[in-house]
Amino acid sequence: MEKVSFIIAEKSFVIRTGLMKIINSFTETIIIKEVTEYKTIIKYVNKLNPDFLIINLKFIEDAYDDIRKMFSENIKTKFIIFTGTKRSKEHFAYFDEQISVDDDKTTILKKIQVLISGIIPYGNEDNNELSEREKEVVKQIALGKTNKEIAEELFISVHTVITHRKNITGKLGIKTVSGLTVYAILNNIIEINEAS
Amino acid sequence: MLITKKTKLAEVIHQNYHLIPIITRFGINFGFGDKNVEQICEKYDIRQDFFLEIINAFNDEDYSPINKLQNLPLEITVSYLLKSHQYFNKVKLPHIENLISKLEWTSAENKKNKSILNKFFIQYRKEVTEHTLHEENEVYPFIIEIEKNYNLSQNNIDFYRLLEKKSVIKYAETHDELNTSLLDLKNIIIKYLPPSDNIDITEQILNEIFDLEKDMKDHTDIENSVVIPVAIKMENKLRKRFNLK
Repeated sequence: MEKVSFIIAEKSFVIRTGLMKIINSFTETIIIKEVTEYKTIIKYVNKLNPDFLIINLKFIEDAYDDIRKMFSENIKTKFIIFTGTKRSKEHFAYFDEQISVDDDKTTILKKIQVLISGIIPYGNEDNNELSEREKEVVKQIALGKTNKEIAEELFISVHTVITHRKNITGKLGIKTVSGLTVYAILNNIIEINEAS
Repeated sequence: MLITKKTKLAEVIHQNYHLIPIITRFGINFGFGDKNVEQICEKYDIRQDFFLEIINAFNDEDYSPINKLQNLPLEITVSYLLKSHQYFNKVKLPHIENLISKLEWTSAENKKNKSILNKFFIQYRKEVTEHTLHEENEVYPFIIEIEKNYNLSQNNIDFYRLLEKKSVIKYAETHDELNTSLLDLKNIIIKYLPPSDNIDITEQILNEIFDLEKDMKDHTDIENSVVIPVAIKMENKLRKRFNLK
């Protein structure tokens, strides 16, 4: 499953550790970079294009309305401002969310949950059933066929086979040929004596 | 908690029992009374600075031993890695294999479940053994050789010949495959195998796999961020000394 990516821009070790702990408490998230220096924020956000940047207000004091202009236009990143004390909401119209040091646990978890579900809608995960086509691909993998052989067998391109494999791994959480073979046998997609 | 030379080893284990295999890997046996790290290291003739880096790195994910380990002789780090290999191959993997062989199902599928799970694990064990053997026979000796020659004041012609043919860079590979197999195994047991008759054994197996995964991750971190980069640096300097490209 694709994870929701975060960059955390925060100088203080204490606060950064706290923010990371909160973000990491969600299974759908991944922190791809911690930034502690102002000058590297723009570089990393433009390069890594995270779903979210959590940035301390101190880094951008007096330049809120310019926040988006600081970064490349091509990034998808949404901005979460972290503030030391509560400030009036209107200052933060340019941000997608505001987290304050004063927020209690439930408030902050809810805010993050809402942000995550904006990226991965609820219920999206429920459909982990393999399609008939994917089952067919699992079967071929378990029989020991290469991508090229599978493509020929099913009259599809190698590229499509690779896409199927990616989706299968995403759905099942199993990647290796041996692992997929076990899955195929357990689910009667192939017989045990057919396995490669 | 930061473990220092004055920390009592008994306290270390009370605080984090996951460190038990790391401590025994250094050859330290139990019954150490109130001895602290310094005293234990002296008793067992273990390099204290190295022990502290390894134990702290395992204890706290945020503790980065890389800088300090990079300044210690590679020989020490490599001999530790060899001990971890032994632990994986001789202790941990046979233990998990034994546990897996004890799983039973009352259903008609019993034989099938046992057979495919065993087969998967034996295949995985084979991969680990091949990988570790390759490192023990090829990679580590070459790295030790590099360090030895790096510390020599004069150039060794035999090693010059070796460097003409070999480079550490080609060993800077990842260990993704092994890790992926473990992830697969976890999901097979957690999600796809039908519930067995002995839930207690399934629980033990899962705990063992999660432990092994963490242990192997720290192991490869040391290889990838200490041993290989330091060896590459030494090799490059040696190549300059030899006027080799």
